[in-house]
Amino acid sequence: MIGMLIVSHSRKIAEGVQELAEQMGQQQVLIRAAGGMSDGTLGTSAEVIHAAATQLGSTPIDGLLVLLDLGSAVLSTEMALEGFAKPFVISDAPLVEGAIMAVIEAAIGGDLERVAAAAERTKTLRKLLG
Amino acid sequence: MPETHELVLTISHPNGLHLRPAALFVRTAAHFHSAITVRNLSRIESHSVDAKSMFGLMQLGVAEGHQIELHSIGVDATAALLALQQLVASDFEEQP
Repeated sequence: MIGMLIVSHSRKIAEGVQELAEQMGQQQVLIRAAGGMSDGTLGTSAEVIHAAATQLGSTPIDGLLVLLDLGSAVLSTEMALEGFAKPFVISDAPLVEGAIMAVIEAAIGGDLERVAAAAERTKTLRKLLG
Repeated sequence: MPETHELVLTISHPNGLHLRPAALFVRTAAHFHSAITVRNLSRIESHSVDAKSMFGLMQLGVAEGHQIELHSIGVDATAALLALQQLVASDFEEQP
């Protein structure tokens, strides 16, 4: 099974996306949130992300999909995952939409490529249908 | 021996086929080997999507009262549509 890591500048956003995705995946998919700085303020921290990733890395996941919000989240995540022992993809997808599509794909046993693709496709998802 | 099966269902869930109901739909469909497609008969421009794809279902824009057409082909085509029919009939109650 593929695990998921949610990275945001805000701890609340990361935990909220985790909560939503866990419910959509009926708690079958391992998800960790890494939001904000270690003191709870807004920002992204390679240290916080590394700690969450390490937790996931010690579980029997086959790979990791990382979903993030914007800007420094990318750099912090790249630093935090340097040397990560399992295959991982840092997704370019929108955070909430990507997490929901990815968790469903992960829950039905999709591999990392499929789970990452499910998230990526949300870039073209239309919310308002005529 | 592959079989094919077709079915039209009416969605009565107030949220239509969105988020939680759609997730349950995908997960139910994914239990089966058969290829399953869905089309929203209540939208003129709707095309067929893979019933095992959450993204596909989102694109259908299925709202309360909409009719969907299911098509399946494969070794368990009939069982697959029966399971989806039961899920819709139960109004997407949590499956054990």
